[in-house]
Amino acid sequence: MRDILKLGLFLLLVAGVAGASLSYVNSLASPLIAAQILQNKLDSFKEVYPQSDKVVDETTTHLIPPHDPVIKEVNVAYLEEVPVGVIYAVETKGYSGPIALLAGFDIATARITTIKVLSQRETPGLGAKATESKFYDRYKDKGIDLALEVTKTPPLKENQVQAITASTITTKAVTKGVNAAREHFIAHFAAVKQP
Amino acid sequence: MNLKDQFTRGLVQENPLFRLLLGMCPALAVTTSVNNGLGMGVAVTGVLLASNIVVSAMRKVIPSSVRIPAFIVIIATFVTITDMLMHAFTPALYTALGIFIPLIVVNCIILGRAESFASRNTMLPAIVDALGMGIGFTVALVMVSAVREVLGAGSFFGLPLLPENIPALIMILPPGGFIALGCILGLMNKFQRKTA
Repeated sequence: MRDILKLGLFLLLVAGVAGASLSYVNSLASPLIAAQILQNKLDSFKEVYPQSDKVVDETTTHLIPPHDPVIKEVNVAYLEEVPVGVIYAVETKGYSGPIALLAGFDIATARITTIKVLSQRETPGLGAKATESKFYDRYKDKGIDLALEVTKTPPLKENQVQAITASTITTKAVTKGVNAAREHFIAHFAAVKQP
Repeated sequence: MNLKDQFTRGLVQENPLFRLLLGMCPALAVTTSVNNGLGMGVAVTGVLLASNIVVSAMRKVIPSSVRIPAFIVIIATFVTITDMLMHAFTPALYTALGIFIPLIVVNCIILGRAESFASRNTMLPAIVDALGMGIGFTVALVMVSAVREVLGAGSFFGLPLLPENIPALIMILPPGGFIALGCILGLMNKFQRKTA
């Protein structure tokens, strides 16, 4: 009985010291981690919609339920206090896991600016090519009159996007996300005219 | 056994990956690029060094009947600290290694060295042992990932080496891990038998 108490107390002590040191390191590291995540997000916004001086998360104003569950965030890009673009964060199901991506839309021209994949678990060397800028370029400057569709050959029409070789499912997942953002953009922003 | 022998033992004769076949799970999973392999090796070396130091320092106070839970708590603490520091300072590597950083806790090398070496030796040999084993593991990971990255992605450390169509994709997919590790082990056995 005494032994059990002694051993238990010893383990309690070890765990207590471990817990204390972890909380100390956490108090040092967590602000850095939060800043890191925020900076990463702002950098990605800049890549998707470069011509802005401020991006505001307006998800609560613009994303009114019931909405397409694919859309996660609606961020509005401002230039000199005028809304100029919309950056959507969307998440769709890819070949081997969720794909999170940003899709940027320009309000004045009503076109897609470009996209950026934030996280994915696709097959390395195949679907994972969706994170290359060569792939983003396939969505660059597309109009929004028609929903985008995936083809296996080089695109003939404006609304066609060529699939990554042997990764049609990945391409379709990305396109589905962009199309969901496109519908929301048409419904909420395409009518907004520049003053 | 002197300190120099202890250091080289982890590098060659008792190399954790090539000779003891410990830590196979991260060795197969993260070695898709040299960068990942090196990052994983450095993280394991750091945890191993810290846990060996603490276990060696506490070897007289830890009751032998609860030594394993005590070791696990110590190791888990250092792994969590490593995890937080990597998230804060090397976010790209943190994303690439993902779940395999927390899984360092169950890496047999670390518990193995705590149990079989650090808990029975003074601090200086424990440090030397941790460095030898950690660097040995890192070198092994870099070797496996170099083979896989060059053959599978046609690059080394992210620098392109081969034209785009030549690489055999399978080498950076899961089967490639087994193929690369198996071939390296086979070659090592062949040459070591000859010299013996």
